[in-house]
Amino acid sequence: VCLPACLFVTLTAAEPWPENATLYQPLKGELQYSYLYILLFLMCGLPVQVFCRANAEYMSPSGKIPFIHVGNQVVSELGPIVQFTKAKGHSLSDGLDDVQRAEMKAYMELVNNMLLTAELYIQWCDDSTATEISRPRYSSPYSWPLNKILAYQKQWEVRRKMNAIGWGGKTLEQVYEDVSQCCQALSQRLGTQSYFFNKQPTELDALVFGHLFTILTTRLTSTELAERVKSYSNLLSFCRRVEQTYFEDKSS
Amino acid sequence: MAAPDELFCWEGDWGLPSISTDCLVVLAYAQFAGAPLKLRKISNPWRSPSGSLPALRTNQKETLSRPSDIIIHLRKQKFNADYDLSAKEGADSLAFISLMEEKLMPALIYAFWIEPKNYVDVTRRWYAEHMPFPLNFFLPGRMQRQQLEKLRLLRGDERLEAGEELEKELYRDAAECMNLLSQRLGSHKFFFGDSPSSLDAYVFGHLAPILKCKLPNGKLQQHLKTLDNLTNFCTNILQLYFPKDGRESFSQKTSPHSEGGDFDHVPNKRRKQFLSALVALGAMLSYALLTGMVSIQHAHHEALEEPPDLQDIGSHHDHEDEGDG
Repeated sequence: VCLPACLFVTLTAAEPWPENATLYQPLKGELQYSYLYILLFLMCGLPVQVFCRANAEYMSPSGKIPFIHVGNQVVSELGPIVQFTKAKGHSLSDGLDDVQRAEMKAYMELVNNMLLTAELYIQWCDDSTATEISRPRYSSPYSWPLNKILAYQKQWEVRRKMNAIGWGGKTLEQVYEDVSQCCQALSQRLGTQSYFFNKQPTELDALVFGHLFTILTTRLTSTELAERVKSYSNLLSFCRRVEQTYFEDKSS
Repeated sequence: MAAPDELFCWEGDWGLPSISTDCLVVLAYAQFAGAPLKLRKISNPWRSPSGSLPALRTNQKETLSRPSDIIIHLRKQKFNADYDLSAKEGADSLAFISLMEEKLMPALIYAFWIEPKNYVDVTRRWYAEHMPFPLNFFLPGRMQRQQLEKLRLLRGDERLEAGEELEKELYRDAAECMNLLSQRLGSHKFFFGDSPSSLDAYVFGHLAPILKCKLPNGKLQQHLKTLDNLTNFCTNILQLYFPKDGRESFSQKTSPHSEGGDFDHVPNKRRKQFLSALVALGAMLSYALLTGMVSIQHAHHEALEEPPDLQDIGSHHDHEDEGDG
């Protein structure tokens, strides 16, 4: 059962977080943005298992992956998931005042707007990357001719979206510039702090980590994007620190 | 000194220098940075060099369309309204601009283009009245389809349609965004310090149309009016940087009333009446000529002069028939 976010508070507050919460994502090798959610739940101290399903995109209520299946509810997308965990009584941003919360929301939108769009652009609108990496990877669970159809359909869909938001006319160089600009803004905001707001991690930290980690570890035709991110040393050390704190314990 | 760049933008109305958010952003930034631009306010997007508005035609005959590109170009020309911002303030600007694009813009698109009553009563009428013939027949409809498509792609839902649930969701996001902007602005005059920056231009561009345009379904405007600091922010910028357009709205407000209602307020009324009468007359005349109700003068005279011939022709025919038979 998928509920709109506004009903969460009234209906789900009563039930505690169950032990069998699962996160669904498409493919085994590529964790995409799952890291973001895994981290979020780790930070809140909530257990979650990760399942890989090829048709995760179709299972998701809104078509966006990954999504979580908790109890008898299915929730996708960052906004609703954050509200859902909040309704269950776990929130990372309670300690922030109004101005800080405004800034946190704004920076989260910045990451969504620039980094996510840039990643999509590079994966699907750059011909070499699309041909060599994205299309084969996307179509790997399926057999011919479905794999070809679905891969091209996805590419066409992403290109339409890029045109609608005005990114259609951008060159790859301009997209890299935008990513640099976004990273610079994040780097300046982070400064020398451990996390973006005080000493406590918030949803913004999870989001930034999820995206940066994805950029740094995803294989692309050129390493330009990863190099640009690496040039901001405080962001790089931020990623390492979060990885060591939350993920090394998990694997050990 | 090189000739100033030319900026093509939509015409203004309701006390605003332009009715389009993107145009307002560029105009506001140009005013803040003191950039001399040759303004061309038009209502026909096909006359713009890029086919859409706003469009900046630079000295090097390059055409820029996106507000962000135009602002970057002006900055390169040393018209920089963000000069005094610290690194963190620059980062915050970027973040809040992204916030507005994600949360406020979809609601704006919905309120002006998708919501049925608003679209028919205000938006489509405005564009149809201001665009030249024959664009006013099909262009507003095409623009509406483009906006619906854009909204669908932004939300990632191909089957998006106007409806109460969508409206509630979009307006809720927009209200939250406005609240966040209001919290960030606080009691300051501008977002960063005493002089306006690019973030102020973006906020102004998004909020001014909501504030000034009277829509039948005006929930966004109601919410904005509860946020005093944002309302004052917009009126402040209008008074300081666009005083002429504010004054124009006053004179415009009085004239429609004197003409007795909106139906009489048609531009070029006399010319249109004359043209319609001419076209109707021409159509009637050509129909009469083609069907033979009215024939050309000299053939008519011959027929009048020789009526006896008709009888002769008739008798000739009889003779011929008898001859053959």
